This record gives sequence, structure tokens and C-alpha cells, in this order.
Amino acid sequence: MRDTMGIIVSNDEKIPPITDKRAVIALPIAGSYRIIDFILSNMANSGITNIGVVTESNYSSLMDHIKSGSPWDLDRKNHGLNIIPPNLAEFDYGKKRGDLDMLANAKAFLRKSHQTYVILSLGNAIYNIDFNDVVEKHIENQSDITIVYKDMTGADEDDLSRYTLIELDKNKRITDIESKPQYPKSSFASLELYIMEKALLESIIDECSSRGDHDFIKDALSKKLQGMIITGYEFKGYYGKIDSLKAYFENNMIFLDEDTRAELFNLENPIYTKSKDMAPTAYKENAIVENSFISNGCIIEGTVKNSILSRGVIINKGAIIKNCIIMQDSVIGEKVNLDHIVLDKETVISEGKKLIGQRSYPVAVGKNTVI
Amino acid sequence: MILKECVAMILAGGQGSRLGALTKNVAKPAVEFGGKYKIIDFPLSNCAHSGLDTVGVLTQYQPLVLNTYIGNGNPWDLDRNHGGVYVLPPYQSAKAEQWYKGTANAIYQNLGFLEKFNPKNVLILSGDHIYKMHYGEMLSAHKKSGAAITIAVMPVPWEEASRFGIMNVDENGIITEFEEKPKNPKSNLASMGIYIFDYEILKKYLIEDENDTLSSNDFGKNIIPAMLANNEKMLSWKFDDYWKDVGTISSLWEANMDLIDSPPKFDVSDRKWNIYSRNMPLAPHYIGKNAKIINSTLTEGCVINGEINHCVISAGVSIAKGARVIDSVIMSGARIGKNVIIKKAVIGEGAVIADGAQIGTVKIKDNPFASHLCSNNLILIESGTEIPKNTVIPAGSMVEAELLKKGE
Repeated sequence: MRDTMGIIVSNDEKIPPITDKRAVIALPIAGSYRIIDFILSNMANSGITNIGVVTESNYSSLMDHIKSGSPWDLDRKNHGLNIIPPNLAEFDYGKKRGDLDMLANAKAFLRKSHQTYVILSLGNAIYNIDFNDVVEKHIENQSDITIVYKDMTGADEDDLSRYTLIELDKNKRITDIESKPQYPKSSFASLELYIMEKALLESIIDECSSRGDHDFIKDALSKKLQGMIITGYEFKGYYGKIDSLKAYFENNMIFLDEDTRAELFNLENPIYTKSKDMAPTAYKENAIVENSFISNGCIIEGTVKNSILSRGVIINKGAIIKNCIIMQDSVIGEKVNLDHIVLDKETVISEGKKLIGQRSYPVAVGKNTVI
Repeated sequence: MILKECVAMILAGGQGSRLGALTKNVAKPAVEFGGKYKIIDFPLSNCAHSGLDTVGVLTQYQPLVLNTYIGNGNPWDLDRNHGGVYVLPPYQSAKAEQWYKGTANAIYQNLGFLEKFNPKNVLILSGDHIYKMHYGEMLSAHKKSGAAITIAVMPVPWEEASRFGIMNVDENGIITEFEEKPKNPKSNLASMGIYIFDYEILKKYLIEDENDTLSSNDFGKNIIPAMLANNEKMLSWKFDDYWKDVGTISSLWEANMDLIDSPPKFDVSDRKWNIYSRNMPLAPHYIGKNAKIINSTLTEGCVINGEINHCVISAGVSIAKGARVIDSVIMSGARIGKNVIIKKAVIGEGAVIADGAQIGTVKIKDNPFASHLCSNNLILIESGTEIPKNTVIPAGSMVEAELLKKGE
């Protein structure tokens, strides 16, 4: 890898109730992972060893998850993983803050780092990307900034307007950029991954904070489209943006698809996560499990179909779980019936209860809830 | 210098020849157990939970897998600034070079290591037993009694007592006599091969034993009888929980089956006493639309489309559609093809059982794969073996990769 560092900004989008107690980036996904595992592993697998994680106020869950960075081999003598917490002294509760304000906290970290290039991730998403090629193309194109995008042709307008959309000329140079437009003009969705020289990022941060700007796309990028060479890099793999409960639900269910699993969890570029030392999962006498993705440490005595189970989930006799996402250490009582439900960590559903959501409207139950 | 209260030494050099093809390329403590563990995870996890932070692992036979597995000891919380886990192979010295001649000699050769930590007590463990034990409790009993040595013992069924080293004890638990495999046992307390020595006394006996050219340098055969003969104070410490020596293919298979009994005879899911292991970065396991799994345990990374009844399935195993696996242990990375039937088998790591093969479905008289190591009609398929399509492997077979190639 060319001398490149990474910055991951944990932005403050909210998906209640599952982000009440954690940042979106710290949300459990695919059973035993957190959303941040994907970008962290992508960076680590690409040979990046200096990574800063810029956090918002709700960062204890994130800290607990990444700690020293050892699962990603980022507990290094030089560099490694750095958590950059918000500067609470400057925290102004009345004002809406943007990603640039958070990046401003990373100034010292950026100054200390001696890499030439920086990969900046502003999004909450899952994908498996090799950054080596992205950085090579960035240098080849002599770009000031490269934005990774995905061609979403075929997606409907509602779906497209969830993304930051870019327009490209025939040289892949970006001519326009719009954040979540109501009437999308383009179907190229930004992965909210930016590659540039570290010095450029530092000057953008300085410039914007002296002007009182808050938003990286609206304030910094849009204004620079004319003066700079900003090019697009097309990513052809799976890109799952997690910005709503529905998107969270769908981006879990994709792991029931063999091809998506093979792509996201390929052996050459594995996704790492914190290990938990839980025993293997026990399937008891009456277990019926079909088309499900199940982590270690579960005890299953009931029926589980089309569902994702995190570690340590207990499904008691006679319970029927369909199309559900059940996070760590939740307990499902006997004869409980759940359909299209997201259960946060350590929830308890007592005997005989019934909860039904819809595919278009899954229902989530917050952490530690007892029903 | 920081004085260590107790340093643990795990004897992990044995070949474990009764495990047949399973220990061809790895030492017994490195054999997989229970879906995601290796046998050595049990003593190492016990050390971690007992607050022992300095552990020597004595390796000799095929140490490569074991060495890389233990690494810096981080999975067992044994990557410490003062102490931690150390792999101790035999070494060359100016005077001589020699292999570990026996259990006592292995410790003797590492007196230099022990001297560095200068412990008050030394805990000697085997690297091939499955159990959960708080060594700290045994250490307190040892310290309280002021004994020269404390030996962990467990009651075994009287009819089996003549297979063990039996300790005869008085009403205070003081050992009065030690009998190796007695015909007429006077007690049913079997030695578990777990000793806590007062370090200075251990040192004295090890040096004396080393100078005795007739000695076989073994704790059970030499050191303990010598201590008894000298009227040393020897305490027994009774352990009355699950403990299994997984020295044979059938005991290894049985101990695995103990995990999936309902309720399990041995519980590895107690979160207060996690069994630590080096975890591979694997995704959760995927259970397909046609899969049927009961009375079994599964580990991460598996893809299951077949039927599993009463099995222990390790990480990264794939079982194709139409396959039926019963009463078996499938080790990590094994691939089971379509419509394969497996009954009562231990399938080694990374073995490939091609479509339509039948393992253990028939018993025949002149079985070319028959092995005395595979008792009770068990089958063992060596790690990495590829069983061709539609092959029938009769009950009681031990299939080794090389033999299978010759037979073709």
C-alpha cells in the first residue's frame, strides 16, 4: 500500500431505538459483527496501519468494541488504531454540527501522521473493497480528490434520494454533487469514501473551520468542483448504506444470500471482529432452523426461519421466530411468536408473547427491554 | 524481583499414539475438541481463571501446530509483562543435548526457567485432559496443610479403579500409599496427574532423580514413590467433577458426545468460566432451507444444507444437501458432499468426503481399514484425507490419506 492513512468518521445519524445507546457505526450486523468492522477490515486488509476513528458523543459502545484494535491487527508500536473523541469543551448543544466539526477534532492526529494520502470514510455502510486499486487510480488520474461511487441504475427515485449522488463527465470527472436530493438527476451513489492527500484534507478542515462551515459535502466539496480535479472511482461490489431501520433490516437479510456472503466474507479479505469466546451453538431435540445465519453461543430449542442471530441468543421451546434480527444475549420465551422484528441486545420476550412487523416496516425493540 | 506464588508447567510433549492418525502431524494437546477448542485450551483456560499468570508449556513431539497456536498467549490472557505463557522445547546445551526423557526430566531440564521466576510452588499439569478446575482452591489447600506435595485425585467407579494410579489416604486426606494399576484396589481415588509441589522440595527430588541412572524420570513411577519412601507430607485434594483423559479415539469421541447430551455431561457454555481459544475470523454459520439439525453443536463458518443428528461440528465445515451425519465429530474445514451418510465417525480437519460416500453404514469381516485403535465400531478419517465418490468405509476403520492412495 502506498503510504496511506485512514479516517473513519462515526456520524450522528439516528435509527431509533437501536442507536439510542450507540453510534450507527457500532450497530451489530450480520450476527457477530458491527458496521465499523467492514471499513476497518477493508483498511487493514489493504495494508493501512494508521487509522483514526473520529467519534461523536455516544462513543462508549464503539470504544468497547474496538479497544486496542487487536482483531484488525492494529495494536501496533507505530500508529495503529486511534480513537478521537469529541472535544466536549467546544460542544454546543444548540447548534447543528456537521462532519467537518468532528474532523476538526482530528487535526492533531492528522498533523502527527506522516502518510501522504488519506482515505476518509464518512458513511455508515457495509462493503468489501480493496483500497490499493483506489489509491493507484487516484494517483494515476492526478486527482485532487477521488470519490468512490456505485452505479445504482435501475433503483427507484425514493431509494436514490437516500444517497449523495454525483454526476460525471466522460473522463470520470465529477461535475455535480448533491446530498440526498429529492429529485435525483443521477444514479451514481457516492460511498462517502474520499481519497486525497493528507495535506489537502488538513487545509479543507482549516479553511472550513475559519469560515464556520460544518458540512463536508455541501460546504467543502461542492464549492471546490470547479477549481479541483475531483474524479469518480466506480465500485462494482455490494454497497449497503444503513440509514434507516428498513435499510438496517435489509442489510442484515442480505447475508442469507449465498453470493453476497461469498463476496462480503471472502477468505482473501476477511472481515474481522472482536472475538467473544462463546461456546458453539447448541441445537436441541426440538430445534427447527431454516435459511438462517447464526452466531456462536446460542441455544436453540424452538423454530427459527429466515433470521439472523447474534451471539448468545436463547430460543426456548415452541417459540417461532421468522424474518427477525436478534442481537446478543436476548432471550425468547416459550411459545413466543415473532415476525419481522429487530430485537436489540439483552431483550427478554416472555412466554407466549406475539410481535409482528412488516417487511416494509420492521419493528425494533430497544436494548434491555423486557416484554 | 517479583516472587511468584505459583508457576504452572503443562506437559504437552506426548505423542498420544493411541489417537492414531489424529496425532500423526500434531501433538495430542493440539487435537481439536468440542467444535472450537484444542485440548490444551482446557488447562490454559483453567490457569487463566485460577489467576495463574505464568505458564510453561513443555513441547516435544510435533510441536509446530501447538507453538503457533499458543503464540503470545493472548487468547488465554497470558500475554503479560511479568510472566505469561512460554513454550519450552528441549534444547542443546554445552554439556549435552537431549530430548525430554520423562515427565520429571522435562521439568528438570527447565529448572533454569523456574529459577528465573523463583516460585514458592509449582503446579504440574497434563496437556491432554478435559476438565474445568480452579487450581487456586487446590493451592490454598496445599498452602494451608504445609504439604511437600498436593495431588489432585478423583473418585472413579470401583470396577475401573484397577486401570488407574490409586492413592490410599488417611482420614485427613494424607496419602499413605500409591499403587499403579492395583489388582485389588484399597481405594477408588485415582491420581489425575495434577501436582502442586513446594518448589524447593521439587528441585531436590528432581536433582536426586536425575542422578539415579536407573530411574525412568517419571513423576508417577519415580518421584512420588521416592517422596512416599522419605515420609514427606503428601496431601490428596479431591476433585469430584467432570474430568476426562482423551487419550484414545473412543474416549475423545465420547468426551465430544458428552457435550451434546441433554443436559450436557460437560458444559462449555458457562460464561463465568469461558473456555478460551484462538478464534478464527469466521462469519456466523449458515443453515440452509433443507437443513435439519438436532441434538448437536455447530460453530461459526459452517454452511449446512444436510441433516445432522447428535454431532459436534467444528468451524468452517460444509455439509451438502441430502447428506446425513449421525453420532459424529466433524473437525474444522471438513467438506461433506451430497447424499453422504456418516455414522459414528471422527472426521479429521479438512477431510473431503465426496458425494455419495457411506461412512460407517456397514460392518464387514475382512475390513482392509480395520484398526485396533478404532474400538466400538468407531471410524477415524485422517485430516486432509479425500474419500472418493460413493466409497463405502465400514465401521471400525481408520482411514489414513497415504493408505487410501496405495489402495487405489
